[in-house]
Amino acid sequence: MPYASIIVPTFNSAATLGETLEALCAQTWGDLEIIVVNDGSTDHSADVAMAHSARDPRIRMITQANRGLAGARNSGIAAARGALIGFCDADDRWRPTKLAAHVAHLEAAPDVGLSYSGSTLISQSGLPFGHAQTPRLRNITSAHLFKRNPVGNGSTPVFRRAALEALAWRPATEMERDWVFDETFRQSEDIECWLRLALSTDWTIEGVPGLLTEYRVNASGLSAHTGAQLASWERMVRKLRPRDRAFFDRHEPAARAYQLRYLARRAISSGDGGAACDYVDRSMAASRLPLREEPLRSAVTWAAARALRRFGAGPIRTARTLLGATRS
Amino acid sequence: MTQQRPRVLHLVDDATPGGVTRVLDQIRSSLDMARDARHEVITVQRNKGLPNLRADVIVSHLSISWRSLPALISFRARHASTPLIHVEHSYTHAFTALNVPMKLRFFALLRTAYALFDKVVAVSQPQAAWLERRGLVRPDMLHVITPVVDLRGFRALPAPAGPLRRIGAIGRLHSQKGFDILIDAFRLLEDPQASLHIHGTGAQEAALKARAAGDTRIVFHGHSDDPEAVMAGLDVIAIPSRWEAFGLVALEARAAGRSILTSGVDGLSESAGRTARVVADPCADSWAAALQLHLSRAPLTTDPTRAATAEADFTAAWAALIAELAPQTEMQIAA
Repeated sequence: MPYASIIVPTFNSAATLGETLEALCAQTWGDLEIIVVNDGSTDHSADVAMAHSARDPRIRMITQANRGLAGARNSGIAAARGALIGFCDADDRWRPTKLAAHVAHLEAAPDVGLSYSGSTLISQSGLPFGHAQTPRLRNITSAHLFKRNPVGNGSTPVFRRAALEALAWRPATEMERDWVFDETFRQSEDIECWLRLALSTDWTIEGVPGLLTEYRVNASGLSAHTGAQLASWERMVRKLRPRDRAFFDRHEPAARAYQLRYLARRAISSGDGGAACDYVDRSMAASRLPLREEPLRSAVTWAAARALRRFGAGPIRTARTLLGATRS
Repeated sequence: MTQQRPRVLHLVDDATPGGVTRVLDQIRSSLDMARDARHEVITVQRNKGLPNLRADVIVSHLSISWRSLPALISFRARHASTPLIHVEHSYTHAFTALNVPMKLRFFALLRTAYALFDKVVAVSQPQAAWLERRGLVRPDMLHVITPVVDLRGFRALPAPAGPLRRIGAIGRLHSQKGFDILIDAFRLLEDPQASLHIHGTGAQEAALKARAAGDTRIVFHGHSDDPEAVMAGLDVIAIPSRWEAFGLVALEARAAGRSILTSGVDGLSESAGRTARVVADPCADSWAAALQLHLSRAPLTTDPTRAATAEADFTAAWAALIAELAPQTEMQIAA
């Protein structure tokens, strides 16, 4: 029985899946299985997975009709045999020591159920472009998780199996296996899962030092989807709110302000000054807490949104370099 | 000749009319329990120093916190040779999830505090499983004794006759009890004959009344000192608690032959019994669907035994635990 299972949801990722699998096979902690969940791909993702599986028997593939990212991860969890279960999307990569770091962390800290790391952002071509997610690693309260999502992206967490089992439920319409991620979400399924872990279990969430994930940022069409992204974030809040109304009464305005600021930064990255200003204004209206907690970042976002709307995308390229990550 | 019965002192710092007080009343007044030991209850001030006591066994029903820890350490030191038991009435898995920002620090507190006692008593199997799983109590120190109150009056109630329409919610008006979810769910039901009866008082009273405003089927009754009379006026008991170490209302509902809907968190998965309908998803839609189903499908399954052995089990469990800790005293075990 492998000690760790790494789940790789794949939907038409043939171009990048090979890199992902090579990075996972090169982990210094080798007692692992890699489960590629082919989520109804119509490209040759399956061929890529099979070719790698032939070279490294630790890789296996399960295939299903498309259910979305959450559905692919849930199928992977159901098939996983490891005591630890990690996730790596099929366009991201793990640094070679990542799994070893999480194994050591979870062994030393038995009350931690979710271990994550920082990430280097990489471009479509797979190269780092100088930005990173460097989240807080310790003393992660539910409030901090809600506002700042230190887990960052879906390719950083490694869970203890028991922590995922504590989240599992079986919807009345589901005949095959449990859900851990909520498959009714097409976005915000990550934060919904992490926040539900924090609000419904006593597992602690903690990070390990180092930028151990390489997270691919898709620069195209960012702005077009921010509306849908905000809608799914709001639905996540509506869903979890009855669990602890006092918590949401207290932290929701600031969390929404951070979410809107994040969407403003994405709009800036895609060159949409009008949308960026709109998000910045709504962020400020929701709560001034980001301005107090992160004055520089908040002020730069405000200034960049204004400058982009006034002067267009040319001069803003310089500012964008200052801005840092598009996804933080 | 039998020797004198052991003297068992119960320390409590919560005198409000809640579950702990009622269970201690049961311990103090039960004639069956008095056969095995002389049980006395001492009320102390929360987070203040604890007195020097002479007893064969001392049982803490105190609430554990960083502020109470020095008093507990001092108490242990001054009673080095007296067996000490702690009954954990409050803390659970779901309590921790929703109320403890720094969980590792909280676990450190509990491990330190519990280690001062010879035995720790969980009030339900799920709570005990959590204490053990989290490494808060050594397995050989851990016992489970589910609490009881005098259930005879509940067992004497006739089962609800006719269609089930009167839904009851009994407890403190506090977010712990989840009555906000229940009110939202009930408002989604269209049946004009159905009614929701909320029994209790608490800080959330105004907020809950505002939530229920405009729906005359929802009635707030305040606190009653006659729980059997309250139960007599209800057909179905809803227990949507967000956390619950045991859940006495569930036990009373079983004894009264009432059917139960519950969140099933923590001890409720045990106290509500196997016939309860569990609504695992804490949201108004799920609760409304469950209530709808429940009201439309009479007759419902209820506990056929009406929790027949609850008091006897409680008495026997305490007698066994005291006998284990005070073995020099010969005891008469209740027949």
